[in-house]
Amino acid sequence: MSNFFWDNIFKASSDEIEDIARHWCSSPLFKNIPKRHVRQLAENMHVRHYQAHETVFREGDQGAGTILVLDGEVCIKARNNTLATLESGDFFGEIALAENDKRTADAICTRDSTLVFFLRQDLEEWIETEPRLGAAFLMNLASVLAQRLHQANQLLARGNA
Amino acid sequence: MPRIRNDGASSAYLETFKVSAVLIALFLASFYLLSSVLLPVIISFTLYALSLPFVNYLVRKDINRSAAIIIMLVIMMSLSIFAISVALPQFLQQAAILKNKLPTMLDQFEAFTGHYSAVLGQTLGIEINTTQILGSLLAQSSSLGKNLLGSITEQLFAITLAMILVPVLTYFILKDFKSLRNKLLNWLPNSSFELGWLIYHRVTRQLEAYTRGVMLQSFIIALVASSGFLIIGLEMPILLGSLTGLLNLIPYVGPLIAMLLSVLVAAAMTPFDVNMIYLAIAVIISAQIVDNTIVIPAFIANVVDLHAVLVIVGIIIFGNLFGAIGVILAIPSLAAIKIIYRNIYADIHNDSRQSGGRT
Repeated sequence: MSNFFWDNIFKASSDEIEDIARHWCSSPLFKNIPKRHVRQLAENMHVRHYQAHETVFREGDQGAGTILVLDGEVCIKARNNTLATLESGDFFGEIALAENDKRTADAICTRDSTLVFFLRQDLEEWIETEPRLGAAFLMNLASVLAQRLHQANQLLARGNA
Repeated sequence: MPRIRNDGASSAYLETFKVSAVLIALFLASFYLLSSVLLPVIISFTLYALSLPFVNYLVRKDINRSAAIIIMLVIMMSLSIFAISVALPQFLQQAAILKNKLPTMLDQFEAFTGHYSAVLGQTLGIEINTTQILGSLLAQSSSLGKNLLGSITEQLFAITLAMILVPVLTYFILKDFKSLRNKLLNWLPNSSFELGWLIYHRVTRQLEAYTRGVMLQSFIIALVASSGFLIIGLEMPILLGSLTGLLNLIPYVGPLIAMLLSVLVAAAMTPFDVNMIYLAIAVIISAQIVDNTIVIPAFIANVVDLHAVLVIVGIIIFGNLFGAIGVILAIPSLAAIKIIYRNIYADIHNDSRQSGGRT
């Protein structure tokens, strides 16, 4: 009975934490960051379960962090155009880690999905205790954002051509 | 000039008002329920905000987090023991002297103002009866001051108990607050999860910055005022300086009370010297100049951005509801309410805009 009150039903199991750490380690955001640190970080990440067709966020919502698709499928849409379909291991919404800005597209689950939130709050607290790793992460984040910008520029150029 | 809003924005305002009203009611109810332990809880959270950077610094130096917290607590307890053994007896002694001298001070102050009003009356050719004007004001101030000073002495036991309770609470807050917070915020529904975290993030950032700024401000003002009182030769300089620093936590009204207190002490000094009153006022004004030109721009400005009328009304309401603690908590509470309101409004307005655009 006491476990019912004191255990966090949202807390990820150790297998799940291992899974989250593995996915993040293979992502460009956590490049060159040792797995044990990513695992420690994963313990405090927020695992959420979404049903099919449930909205994760909408364009104009305020973003609090980046989101990893642990399981399921998420569709990214802007003005009814599908921009991307994301599956297990993909991440999105990373702009919110860098800036207090509004979401620029809709994110909707197309299947029952398990998503992992890595919030700006978590990142700031991590930087306070692990500034070197935090700096490495921020470099990776800058690189990811630059890549996204480059892709957007290419799309624009194609559209104009 | 107010803009004419469309229906979507108006309904968003109404919705935000409803949600905010519920949140404020919950906020006030939790304040009321916690009122018996409010002081140790507030002190513990203040110490948490102050000591967290130091704990994080120790963690960065490869010290285990629990060990870092214990080191921090040992330092804090050593300071508390030092304060109890050295500063508190002197502080209480000065408070007792002030309590005994208060009636004499008020009489002398009344005589002083009576004399000057007579001189002024003769010069201007009109009759000014300051004794009558000040009579009820001074009687009220006297009883308030006596009660305040009396309660400091009487509540020594409560203060000692809080000093034992505070380190224990602070330890657990430093150790477990993050996981407790995560558990609580994870109960938010998916639709409000990010918004809840954003509001939490903004409110805590502002409150932490405000707490650190205000503590530093209080300390600097106490230091400046104590030094000033010591230099001019006013009685009880440390007590008066500390009270000036503490009263500075109450905007607008606090510095005026501090000035009145120092004027009373200066007026009661024997032999009576009118210059001492002017010098005491000069010290308080100097402390306010330091506060407004150096301390506030450097540490507090941009942390809370509240209208002066809102601050005064808030102080009166919180003071009536929760007494002295309410007066001190009024500004951070108002700042938190403002952030919550703005974020909920932004979210609801975005909702109504999106649903309006899609139908």
